[in-house]
Amino acid sequence: MKKNLAALVLGASLLTAAHAQAEDVLKLGAPFPLSGPGAAWGTAVLNGVKLAAKDVNEAGGLKVGDTTYKIEVVAYDDKYSASEEVTVVNRLLSVEGVKFFTGPIPSAGLLAVQPMLKKADAVAITLAFTSKAIGPDYPGIFRVSITSHEMAQPQVNWLIKNVGVKKVVGLFENDETGHAMEADTATAYKKAGATYSSEFFERGTVDFVSLLTRVLFKDIDAIELSGMSPTTSGLIIKQARELGFTGKIVRTGGPATQEIVHVAGKEAAEGIVVHAPINPYDEQMAAFIARYEGEYGAGMNGFAPFFYDGTRMMLKAMQDAGTVEDPIAVRDAMAALSEYEGVLGKVSWVGEETYGINRQISVPFYIAEIRDGKEKVVATCNVIVCE
Amino acid sequence: MSFEAFLIQTGVNGLILGALYLLMAVGFTLVFGSLRVVNFAHGEFYMLGGFAAYFTTVTMGLPAIASIPLAFLFVAVLGLFCERAVFRPFRGDELNGMIASIGLALILQNGALMLFGPMPLAMPPFAEGLTRFGSIVIPTSRLLAIVISAAVLAIFYVVMMHTRVGRAVRAMVQDAEVASTFGIHPGLVYPLGFALGVGLAAVAGAVMAPLFSVSPFTGHTPLLKAFLVVVLGGLGSIPGAAIASLAVGLIESYTATFYGSLAADGLILLLAVIMLVMRPNGLLGRAMRVG
Repeated sequence: MKKNLAALVLGASLLTAAHAQAEDVLKLGAPFPLSGPGAAWGTAVLNGVKLAAKDVNEAGGLKVGDTTYKIEVVAYDDKYSASEEVTVVNRLLSVEGVKFFTGPIPSAGLLAVQPMLKKADAVAITLAFTSKAIGPDYPGIFRVSITSHEMAQPQVNWLIKNVGVKKVVGLFENDETGHAMEADTATAYKKAGATYSSEFFERGTVDFVSLLTRVLFKDIDAIELSGMSPTTSGLIIKQARELGFTGKIVRTGGPATQEIVHVAGKEAAEGIVVHAPINPYDEQMAAFIARYEGEYGAGMNGFAPFFYDGTRMMLKAMQDAGTVEDPIAVRDAMAALSEYEGVLGKVSWVGEETYGINRQISVPFYIAEIRDGKEKVVATCNVIVCE
Repeated sequence: MSFEAFLIQTGVNGLILGALYLLMAVGFTLVFGSLRVVNFAHGEFYMLGGFAAYFTTVTMGLPAIASIPLAFLFVAVLGLFCERAVFRPFRGDELNGMIASIGLALILQNGALMLFGPMPLAMPPFAEGLTRFGSIVIPTSRLLAIVISAAVLAIFYVVMMHTRVGRAVRAMVQDAEVASTFGIHPGLVYPLGFALGVGLAAVAGAVMAPLFSVSPFTGHTPLLKAFLVVVLGGLGSIPGAAIASLAVGLIESYTATFYGSLAADGLILLLAVIMLVMRPNGLLGRAMRVG
């Protein structure tokens, strides 16, 4: 009888343990622009994060110490607005109790919530282009994208040498992201010896005919789109071609080819030279793209694999640190990751010289030309040179 | 390009902008005039007009010109439904009607996001190529957009001025109480005014869709511009909206071309503020009764 009872108690406690284990959930905060002109990026990176979570969950969950966690991605829409960012990050921190963030991605939004993230010792990955995104003051923030600061100069040098652009006007959104990119882009063109000027417009503008009339009157031979919103890029290309502009259109900022072809059409997009953060012909990347498209149906924006790898690295750091309760230990473990084997290739952190702390991802990037609606890689770059 | 041609080109750009704002603003001000509702969902009806045009031309393969009346019909019918379901309880209650319209805007925008996704959809233009007048270049698609807008506004004008329905709606806009003593039934005319107003927004959406692409968020900018135009022209005044929209289009085009687009946006807002301070009823608006 006693034996039976003991067995019963043991069985019951095992059941409870199993139950408790199944219930252990690790929440990842995902504040992204899911509506408005930034939505194309927001949904792409969210899909990257979700795919990382799905892979870990399907492999039985994230084992940290003796506990196995199911990863839950808690997404909120920040509408690419700094004020909305404060609201959603506050909610993620205080209501959802999140310590690990896979965003925010807009520069203005990130700057607005940096103090909150710091106070909570939260760990976050971002792609914010502003040079203030990472630094010794905010050791919990890791940037998983190459920004205009790293890529402008080698790309511009290549463009001037190989495409022969000389008189260039750069177009930028009038906010933190736009001004950060403008500073890097203008410096790069001037350093490379081009005649260069910049124009700003409000984020979300759809009619560029007035602006383009002004720009084309300057008798230029290239328009630089830098890293503006993908949809906006498509509209500008379409309207510039409609106005009869036959010169070069180049884009040295973040990925947008899918959306450009979608909005401007294959014909208008033909021959545009773009920055490509990934090489779609790389075997590992091609497999990832196929998996992404199978999962979400749509074509993949180039930022998605960065957030897939970024999320996997954050989860790996939790395992290395052996805790999900101590974000500082996770942060240090994440910073210690080097030559991490991701879908992007070997990923490490750099940036000590420029930003004062190693929180900037280091991976190769590419220059591609749009041919029949697809990117064709024409040069491979690092922060020094494109070849 | 010579400087004269450049000036004329800028003027033509401004007129095209003005035509877009006019279609939006006339509908917006009509809804305000008849229902006394500042309809913040107006931009969403513009967006739905764009989607209707996209599905009729791209998905169903109908000719582009057929997409415009179909977009109008679809959105006007939806407008009748929205008037009945959302706005009828707030008739004459400006504040709550406005709040309800913000709610409706959120529902429509997020509904479109769930149905169609965030990716912008591109539509083939009405026409390819450029039309040249001397050294002035106008994309033919834009030229057609002006022609279609002008035709729609002409039809609208005839309907409003020379038909029983139009007279009834105008009477309602001018004085609802007196109009009803003359046997005009508010229960019929209010929904009609609303449907006509949002139908015009849909026409704007359908005409502009090939130029600006279609996504659930395309309604925001046209709404803002329509709102500014209506503030300048006078809430509820259709001639005021007509003058103001062409003026805003031209001012915006010239300022953006000579001083950059940030200066243009700022100047239009500044004008609206000055108008509100100096002449709160706008260019041709009527003073409103209080209480």
